[in-house]
Amino acid sequence: MAFNKNSLLTGIIGCLLCCQLAVAKDVLRVLAWPGYADPDVVHAFEQRFQVSVEVTFVDSDEALWAKMHAVAGPRFDVLAANTAEMQRYFAAGLLKPLDPALLPNTRRQLPRFRNLAAIPGLQQQGRLYAVPFTYSTMGIIYDRRQFAVPPDSMNVLWDPRYRHKVLDFNSGQHNFSFTALASGIAQPFALSAAQRDRLVQRLIALRRNVLTFYSLPEEGTELFIRHKIALMFGNYGTQQLNSLRQAGADVGYAIPREGVLAWLDCWAMTAASSKPRLAQQWINYMLEPAVSGLLPARQGLANTLSASDELKPGAKVLWLQPVENAALREALWQKIYSGDRPGSF
Amino acid sequence: MRSGLLVKLALLLAVFGILSSGLTGYYAFSAHRTMLVSAAQGDLLTAARGVNRRLLQAEEEAADDAMLLARLVQVAQVINGHGDRPARQARDELAQAFAGMLALHPEYLQVRLIGAADNGLELVRVDSAGGLTLRVDGQDLQEKGHFPYVFETLALPAGQIYQSAIGVNHERGAHDAEGRPGLMVATPLPRSDGQPGGLLVINLDLERLVGQLRADLPKGYQLYIANRWGDFLVHPDPAQTFGFEQGRRILMQDSFAATQPLFERKLNNLALSGLEQPQQAAGRVMAFVRQPVGQGNHDDFVVTGLVQPLDAVLESAVPLGQRIIHMVLAFSIIAILLAVVFARAMLRPINTLAQAASSFSETQLQQVLPVERNDEIGVLARNFERMQRQINSHMASLYDNQRELSYLAHHDSLTGLANRSLFFQRLEQLLQLSQRNGAPFAVLFVDLDHFKEVNDLHGHAIGDQVLQIVARRLLHTVRGSDMVARMGGDEYLILLQGNFSDDALGELIDKLRLSISEAMTVAGQRLEVGASIGYSLYPRDGSTAEQLVNEADHAMYHVKSGRRGGKVNSLPCG
Repeated sequence: MAFNKNSLLTGIIGCLLCCQLAVAKDVLRVLAWPGYADPDVVHAFEQRFQVSVEVTFVDSDEALWAKMHAVAGPRFDVLAANTAEMQRYFAAGLLKPLDPALLPNTRRQLPRFRNLAAIPGLQQQGRLYAVPFTYSTMGIIYDRRQFAVPPDSMNVLWDPRYRHKVLDFNSGQHNFSFTALASGIAQPFALSAAQRDRLVQRLIALRRNVLTFYSLPEEGTELFIRHKIALMFGNYGTQQLNSLRQAGADVGYAIPREGVLAWLDCWAMTAASSKPRLAQQWINYMLEPAVSGLLPARQGLANTLSASDELKPGAKVLWLQPVENAALREALWQKIYSGDRPGSF
Repeated sequence: MRSGLLVKLALLLAVFGILSSGLTGYYAFSAHRTMLVSAAQGDLLTAARGVNRRLLQAEEEAADDAMLLARLVQVAQVINGHGDRPARQARDELAQAFAGMLALHPEYLQVRLIGAADNGLELVRVDSAGGLTLRVDGQDLQEKGHFPYVFETLALPAGQIYQSAIGVNHERGAHDAEGRPGLMVATPLPRSDGQPGGLLVINLDLERLVGQLRADLPKGYQLYIANRWGDFLVHPDPAQTFGFEQGRRILMQDSFAATQPLFERKLNNLALSGLEQPQQAAGRVMAFVRQPVGQGNHDDFVVTGLVQPLDAVLESAVPLGQRIIHMVLAFSIIAILLAVVFARAMLRPINTLAQAASSFSETQLQQVLPVERNDEIGVLARNFERMQRQINSHMASLYDNQRELSYLAHHDSLTGLANRSLFFQRLEQLLQLSQRNGAPFAVLFVDLDHFKEVNDLHGHAIGDQVLQIVARRLLHTVRGSDMVARMGGDEYLILLQGNFSDDALGELIDKLRLSISEAMTVAGQRLEVGASIGYSLYPRDGSTAEQLVNEADHAMYHVKSGRRGGKVNSLPCG
């Protein structure tokens, strides 16, 4: 009995000590998108660095912005966001520069992602702020049975041969951008008023050529199959390609010669982080083949380490950037989408 | 000890009573709760089906109205475009009809005639704007050919109805409909040549429909509707609806994991409660029904869910619960009282037995036992009584043995006379008595003469018989209150109480001697023995038993020696 009491006491004290140790462990707070930090990945990091990691998931750029600006709650150490958003966070003074020496795994990345100057949003004033992690291009998905040769231009979306056999994504920003590319405009993210007016007319023409505009990926897949669509603007990129193939469609993926829009999600360290070393260890860890390799396998997303079938090394990629006037683009797009005729702009 | 048993038994009975009434109460209460919840689930399912039916009804009404309007002659005129002027007039008349329809149905937000030509250009359009009807015309008419409700309806044969999925209307300039969730009900309008000419479409306001449905639902019911992917279309919190519009998926399967099979088309309806599935429906009662939508539409459906707080369902069980608690308390008190009464009644015969046992062990007196009972206590009482009897009989034989032993210890086994030990006891007693009251007494010592010769001549058996006969003769000669004892061998002692003179004693001694010397026939032989008798008197010859016996012995010796010397004197010389 006395022995039991003693062992109980020892146990309690042991527990308390353990709790103390657990409390004493460093906590890394991560703000990420679903699929970027799966529990097994997090656990392995915790084991290796003897820290505790708290991951908060967000499902939209707005939610991410709101979390970063939350007055209450924990201060995050690292976040994942696309290049356009990174520029916004940098402008708001929410990021801390990174030390390339602490990120040896960046040397494993494809040349495309190591050419930092070519990707707006990674560097600011000559210092590294964001490290590419995963990306998705917005190419053209086409029915291989209706195309003997893969389409090579964005302008195929306007081709009257495919009238009502085209699907487009319901989004003002991207539609203006890729129409600008198709129209040979060099700066699709910074349109002049005149360019915009011209693109409105082209988008009305596109509206008349498409069957409809989709929003959800599964909606796009269903429309594609049910209406024997010839080609679609693949807003969800290779993920959408996979789901179409799973649904039985014989589809191909084309990167137009004008270039392809793409989002690129990067890891960055917050200005509020009190553990810069640990934060950068996390970012470096994310670029390990075993971790980055999970992106294609589990999420159908491309990583920055290995070349993907859909994006050839020489292909022209336009990483998303903040557009000149998103609200105006959206307002114009709403009119186009609603069916306003050319004369009402 | 007995009161301890009483308390224990009463406690046990009371605990049984309380437990049984408590368990019965609890079972009744939980059965009642289960019934309430199951009834609530049934109600919710019925109500959810009712919601679906009402939605369907509203859609069918809109479909009927669309069909009705489609049959107007002006529709054919507009679709077939018989000259510009009549078509213009027909459009105006249609606009009036549409406005009338809109005014009649507050849940209609738009009534339109859309042409198949010109990328689905609207031909006649009347919107609800701020609750009033507003005709949209001229350059404000829009091309709608890229909307599913247009191209899907145009693909339908005449007389069919298209019904869109529920969604937020993003058509800018749609007035009241803009930004509001709703659905389209449309019917195709073929041209006279059979080609698709256009469609008549009515825009239904979901909020209005749901508002009516909600108003008809019992208070506390929360209404949820999700599309076939699970996206919430109706939710008590409007911010949770149409999440996909903002690039977020807020799914019913995530909020209510149990609904997953409905979306996998494995189930058509589902009811669960926090009482039976606390994991899936903590604190709630809910029912979900999958409802196909549209006619001939590709496998489209909505899932309607109604949720009610479990507490609200169980509220009506509270008064019953309280009454059950009161009843359980009352029954517990009764159980305690009955337990005490029963325990006492059961212990009474045991107490009787215990008392009988203790009094028997003290007094050996048998008491009245409850032997007439037929139960175990009766058996015990009967056994106890038998045991008492056995003990009593054993005790009696023990006393007899003791008496016999005591007799043997104080009597001579041959003659049955008192032995020397008993004689001396009596002598001592008499001495003590006489020392107090001064009463005199005499001790006689009798010794047989020539007994040795009898023994030698006739054997010990004969000798023994002689001794017995002498003993009898001595007893016959003295008074009943006197004591005759055998000293051993052929010597006897006699204790005579009373005041004797020497003469009177001499007479008695003669009488004794004569009695002894009378001839006796033993085993067919005539024998004669004599006796020498000496005596001593208290207090004259001694004050102790030894003195008195010794004196009598001496006197006897004198007598014997005198007779052998030819002198006959039985009296001691002084």
